Amino acid sequence: MAFQIPKINYTGKIKEVSIGSGSHAIKVGGESCYPFHLFEGAMPNPPRVAFEVWDYPPEEWQEWAIEPYKDVINDPVAWAKKSQDTYGAELIALLLKSADPNGMNRDVEQVVATVKSVADAITVPLLVWGCVNDEKDAALLRRVAELCEGKNVAIGPLVEKNYKQIGAMAIGYNQVVMASTPIDVNLAKQLNILLGNLGMPDDRMLIDPTTGGLGYGLEYSYSVMERDRMAALTQEDVKLQYPLVCNMAHEVWKTKETKVKKEDNPKLGDEKKRSILMEAVTAMSLLVAGADILIMRHPDAITLVRDMIKELTN
Amino acid sequence: MVLRIGENLNVIAKKIGEALKERNPVPIREMAEAEAKAGVDLIDINLGPARKAGAELMEWVVKTVQEVVPHIPLSLDTTNVEAMEAGLKAHKGRPLINSVSARPERMDALVPLAQKYHASYIALTLGVEGIPRDANERGMLAAEHLAKAAEFGIPEDDLWVDPIVLPINTQQIQVQGCTEFVMMLKEIAPTCKSTCGLSNISNGAPGHLRGILNRTYLIMIKRYGMYSAIVDAFDAEMAAICQDKMPGLEALVHKVMDGEAIDTTKLSKEEMEYVKTTRVLLGQTLYSDSWLEL
Repeated sequence: MAFQIPKINYTGKIKEVSIGSGSHAIKVGGESCYPFHLFEGAMPNPPRVAFEVWDYPPEEWQEWAIEPYKDVINDPVAWAKKSQDTYGAELIALLLKSADPNGMNRDVEQVVATVKSVADAITVPLLVWGCVNDEKDAALLRRVAELCEGKNVAIGPLVEKNYKQIGAMAIGYNQVVMASTPIDVNLAKQLNILLGNLGMPDDRMLIDPTTGGLGYGLEYSYSVMERDRMAALTQEDVKLQYPLVCNMAHEVWKTKETKVKKEDNPKLGDEKKRSILMEAVTAMSLLVAGADILIMRHPDAITLVRDMIKELTN
Repeated sequence: MVLRIGENLNVIAKKIGEALKERNPVPIREMAEAEAKAGVDLIDINLGPARKAGAELMEWVVKTVQEVVPHIPLSLDTTNVEAMEAGLKAHKGRPLINSVSARPERMDALVPLAQKYHASYIALTLGVEGIPRDANERGMLAAEHLAKAAEFGIPEDDLWVDPIVLPINTQQIQVQGCTEFVMMLKEIAPTCKSTCGLSNISNGAPGHLRGILNRTYLIMIKRYGMYSAIVDAFDAEMAAICQDKMPGLEALVHKVMDGEAIDTTKLSKEEMEYVKTTRVLLGQTLYSDSWLEL
């Protein structure tokens, strides 16, 4: 008897979610197979990379991370436009770090003014990531949902403690939400159920499984994303059939391995090359685990990842 | 039939904890009498680590409880070996030691006591490596217990093997290993008894939903011969299931376990909840706190 390649019997499908408006709107999700298993099913929308933009000049960044954005780092609008126009970003992720009560603690109105300027300046879709303080984000992201009316932006992270406040506004202003849970498949499912009960349409939800960087918990994120996809695709778990978004750049670039210079530890090799590879390898691993959107930093790392996506989807 | 070991006389319950500390016999007696009235087959006396004056405390509790409910055997639950011996010495009739893990030092300390006081004991499938990861590891640990018991001439039916029930909300896959082991146990040791800390299945789940998880899991393992379970003495529906008074409900759960098609349009809301819960416990539906709402 001829050898038969075993095939997985898929019974579910990931929902398609649109972000942005007009001709630059993009769709993610829609998979009917495991990541890049094109011999078993379809992946109608390739995974996308969102270029990370901070809402204040990130002085703490390594100089080799700042380098590609040196001329625009003090202006989020110019930064986003450069990412779009020079580096060909298909998505921008604006991180509202300046709102963090334990950091700069900028006022909500000041922060959302930046969001509005960026949203108005770019044509590609926008992801808006809060300051990851439950209370502040509840106030902040509600305003973002309101001010970005008509732009179909993705806002998050929504967590168990603030999903109602942010979710209700996102529903009212037709925005997409990113539902965030701490590396746990059961909790992810639960938050999606709660958002569904609130009235969030199925084609407006993304899952943020919480991402660890290479060497710093990547494997935990990887396992949970695998389980998300297994439940969604082979166990008909409709409450997990949403695209996955990984906010990974910050996790990679805060590690020691991206900070130590070659002159301080020659064994580690060139710091720029090393950091870019750390970011690219983290991204590639997450793609293989099922990521639909990656939030990334360095254009060279992004180029490597895009090339890989192209090779695996063609 | 599944024997019920009432779990409510527990040091972590505020009222009981205070009574134990103050050596106030009134709340202790009241709880024992209430459990007896609820028809439990054994009463668990859980003193926890009982580091301070454990031996004297256990002796006092055993005597206090047996004064009011002399006909119900006690399950003595402490990790303090001295306290355990004091309890065994004070107990009239045959007590149950709760519990002996498969760690060599625990077996060496407690199995001789079981022999000396002619007591049965709960044999936890918990070894040096901690919580077992699947049915086979549980089987290995059960075998270690059986060997140790044989060494001391303790008959197999004095061992109440505990498969270690794990919480469904964080350990859904491991729950299946537990269920599988309960199925195997009759083959490994046909005359062995069994028991489990049933409420652990719902540890961490929303409070008002713990009962349905506990009861559904009980029906599942009852089918495979679970001999007894440490349960909430005051869950009347649990008592009815243990006493074979809910055959219709059991048949429904068995159908789900067998993968039979079920006409859900004919089910009551409560029956539907049992069907959904069984599917979660079988690992067919991924657990979430809102599993009944889907």
